[in-house]
Amino acid sequence: MSSTTLDPSRHGAHAAGDPAGKLPGTSTGPGPSFLRVLNSEIIKFRTLLSTLILLGCTVLVVVGFGALSAWGTGQFSEAAATDPQAAAAFAAQGGDLAVGVPTSGIAFAQLILGSLGVLLMSSEFTTGMARSTFAAVPKRIPAFAAKLLVVMLTAFVLTAASVFLAGLVSLPILDNYGLKLDLASSQSVKMLLVNSVYVAAVAAIGMALGSLIRNSAGGIMSLVGLFFVAPIAFQLIPGDFFVQARKYLPGNTVDPMTAVQHVPDTLEAWQAALVLGAWVVIPVVLAAVLLKKRDV
Amino acid sequence: MIEARGLTKVYGDKTAVAGVNFTVEAGRVTGFLGPNGAGKSTTMRMIMGLDRPTSGTVTVNGTPFAQHAAPLRDVGALLDAKAVHTSRSAYNHLLAMAATHSIPKRRVHEVIEMTGLADVAKKKVGGFSLGMGQRLGIAAALLGDPQTVILDEPVNGLDPEGVVWVRNLVRHLASEGRTVFLSSHLMSEMAVTADHLIVIGRGRIIADAPIQDIINGKGRIRTRVRTDQPDQLMHLLAGDGVSVELQDNELLEVTGLDPRRIARTALDGHVMIYELTPLQASLEEAYMELTKDEVEYHSLIATGAAAPVQSGGN
Repeated sequence: MSSTTLDPSRHGAHAAGDPAGKLPGTSTGPGPSFLRVLNSEIIKFRTLLSTLILLGCTVLVVVGFGALSAWGTGQFSEAAATDPQAAAAFAAQGGDLAVGVPTSGIAFAQLILGSLGVLLMSSEFTTGMARSTFAAVPKRIPAFAAKLLVVMLTAFVLTAASVFLAGLVSLPILDNYGLKLDLASSQSVKMLLVNSVYVAAVAAIGMALGSLIRNSAGGIMSLVGLFFVAPIAFQLIPGDFFVQARKYLPGNTVDPMTAVQHVPDTLEAWQAALVLGAWVVIPVVLAAVLLKKRDV
Repeated sequence: MIEARGLTKVYGDKTAVAGVNFTVEAGRVTGFLGPNGAGKSTTMRMIMGLDRPTSGTVTVNGTPFAQHAAPLRDVGALLDAKAVHTSRSAYNHLLAMAATHSIPKRRVHEVIEMTGLADVAKKKVGGFSLGMGQRLGIAAALLGDPQTVILDEPVNGLDPEGVVWVRNLVRHLASEGRTVFLSSHLMSEMAVTADHLIVIGRGRIIADAPIQDIINGKGRIRTRVRTDQPDQLMHLLAGDGVSVELQDNELLEVTGLDPRRIARTALDGHVMIYELTPLQASLEEAYMELTKDEVEYHSLIATGAAAPVQSGGN
């Protein structure tokens, strides 16, 4: 560090013999508008290697599970041709298993991108970055909203792209077993969009948890608890209440929204959408209110 | 200009800052001095709107920080050298900060050059030494070319060359008419850097005066006098603004008179004195004196090597 001299000429205009060139309290340039804060959050997002690795993992997992699922579905349909028991099971599924193949890795995509949502917010607090962030944007909410937008858009676009890619990869495999998958069919498009929205919602819930808990491990554990432990626990706990309540868990809102026809004893599609929406809005609003109130 | 009025911060049952009032003027370096845990960082975080005051207000140029239209362009702060994501490079950190205010890349490069980080700017901050972290924090503080600069313990972890650099930097910034507010728990550093000192202890302002006044013990000169006739000398010296303290039967401590006047008075009164020692307190001593009742964590080993053996029963 040899070049640590102070260069007085750096102050440009007001260094030229006018020490009071800047009137007290007056800024001589733009402040943190939402678009500028958004740009800042995008820079923060793309300059973390760990984030990019998690995004890459999501693509790999979704595409990989798509291919595996295509192969498994092919095996199943082959068995159905010779085994009447398998044929009955195959028919019970509506005969169209292939349409669910591209989204078969969603459970893992939601875990990775939900955790990413937690990490992007909790790491602000664990690393002390939050002090820099909120010194630059002292109103705080714009920074939170910008980060939320980046997280949700990324989760949506990445999931959609991965699911589409998984579909492309599984086409030749399914074809090998004589199964047809039309990626442009309305059901395929619906599956892709609903799952992408769902993963974006999970990422938003993760970010809210990261902001509320401010601790990476705690946030991720809460997320896992909500999406992986609660559904199992609710099934095991006896009593009608938990059977009913289970329908309202965020992880159980996808099937009703993508069902070809309404399955009895599940939510209607619009109800499921509302439930998922509530699962996003309530934690996010709570996180934003507390972020504004609490000390950094 | 930074103005705190009745600024208070209470964490649970602990009062970190207890209703402080102070003004940090533009155009000079104001030191914020206090022992660890005195409330310096809390006060600075409240200035930056990161901690919400329990009561009272603090404004920068008349406006609370959070209400400034372009906060980074008005106030730059180094609050914590580790206020950076450890996995991001210094350059990208500054770039992201700059983006919030559309500060051009040119300026990012400028502050990197200025703080001597050019060689490591593309490296992850997690691998930085404390000194490099401080330089990055200072670079971030200067990013918006702000009128007010707040630096919390900026010389912590810097090598001697870096300490001199910070000293010159803050003096230069103040000479340009900027408001510079600098905290430290090191008196010696303040003595050579600050023009004005605000001393804080246990959340209360103990002193707020020009640095020279504080070195002089608030303008008071103390002199130790030894004489065979202390009572007579005490009587002779008594007067306005003079206080004489009898320390033992031959030793007096006189405050408010310079040694020459004491000697002259003694001579005129035919009192023999055989010691006359001006007690020019060093800033360190003045500081210790000011804060001795205010430090939160007293060292257990108070009186050198012999103490632990003797204080075994404590």
